[in-house]
Amino acid sequence: MNKEEQGVSEQVWNLAELQDRVDNDQELLRELLNIFKEDFPRTLQSLESAVSGEDLKNATRLSHTLKGMLGSLGATRAAAAAAKLEALSSAGEIASLEGAFHALEIEAQSLLPELEAYMAEVRH
Amino acid sequence: MKILIADDEALSRRLLERTLARAGYQVIAVENGKQALEQLGKPEGPRLALLDWVMPELDGPGVCRAVRTRSEQTYVYMVLLTSKGSKEETVLGLESGADDYLTKPFNAEELRARLRVGERILLLEDRLVEARENMRFRATHDQLTSLLNRGAVMDLLTRELHRSHREKKSTAILLGDVDHFKHVNDTLGHVVGDEVLVEIANRLLASVRSYDFVGRYGGEEFLVVLNNCDPAFAPIRAEEIRKAISSHAIQTAKGPVTLSMSLGLLLSSEWKVKPVEELLHEVDIALYEAKTAGRDCLRMAKPSTPVELAPADLSQPVRLRH
Repeated sequence: MNKEEQGVSEQVWNLAELQDRVDNDQELLRELLNIFKEDFPRTLQSLESAVSGEDLKNATRLSHTLKGMLGSLGATRAAAAAAKLEALSSAGEIASLEGAFHALEIEAQSLLPELEAYMAEVRH
Repeated sequence: MKILIADDEALSRRLLERTLARAGYQVIAVENGKQALEQLGKPEGPRLALLDWVMPELDGPGVCRAVRTRSEQTYVYMVLLTSKGSKEETVLGLESGADDYLTKPFNAEELRARLRVGERILLLEDRLVEARENMRFRATHDQLTSLLNRGAVMDLLTRELHRSHREKKSTAILLGDVDHFKHVNDTLGHVVGDEVLVEIANRLLASVRSYDFVGRYGGEEFLVVLNNCDPAFAPIRAEEIRKAISSHAIQTAKGPVTLSMSLGLLLSSEWKVKPVEELLHEVDIALYEAKTAGRDCLRMAKPSTPVELAPADLSQPVRLRH
């Protein structure tokens, strides 16, 4: 990983912060990533249905869950996007939900390949 | 030390679990507030808890409130985990009964430091409880013999008399005084005198049932309360107690000492309801009669006009031993 890539990854995924949090326990890190791989798409999908169905209660709850999950993982930018969606849903800003969800999706799209790349790198 | 983690989000929960296990805690992880409350309610349950604010079933502040409304349980130190940062919410969290709060995502070092604060508080609480228990024991027990002290045994007797009256049962009150105890103190010294009193206390305790009371009434006077005692058997049991003292010598630092005890006995069923002091006065008279009759014997306190159907053969003082 060169310096340029490092700079980008710190924005999308703060691996250093996560390494610190797991106390450099690589096994735990892998385990967390596996939980994430399983839980994140499922939760994101439910959130999408909640948003399109204008279900504010579930949109608030699910975006809160994602915020916690992403935050623990050190995915700072995606966590911020989830936080924004949570705030909008709990404030009942229905008109802004689709846009906020889309922003979260974009963040997720740049996050997931980084996680995949890392997992491929540590697997061998 | 056990610690409870309650977080509905699997990744954060696992992260916390491992972080705390590595810090040496015995971790119990649950997914919602209801399960958290259940764990915290167990007799040997965790006394440290990390609770996520937003959870299904019951949220973090809800768990805190529920735990704090329970009374006689040991203190649980609770830390709320929140991604909410506002002052209002911090205040709300603390007012629900939480001791501290941490914002997510947490920093491992800060988390451990804050939990150490919790452990310190719990340690202080343990010491406080222990000191309170010691004080309670000292306030109700005789220092030398560890028997109930006069005040405590009188309180228990009063309660027991009310109960036996209500349930139409009989309580037997035995007042015993060690014969010629002064002689032991004068010839063998107070240290041996103390040894003797401790041994007599032990023998008295060994001769009653677990739900009877034995108290040190005065210097060498002991009060034994036989709860719910069949009036027909009371004199027999009193005799056993008397024999427990005189049957074999007491081993002391200055050799074996043979002693005896004079006893006064009163059966509450034979008396009208009277204040406990008056009943004790009657037993004291019976004890005095036992002393004048030659000691090492039992005398019964009998009302001059027996209540209802007091058995005829027990309405007069009985000498059960010469």
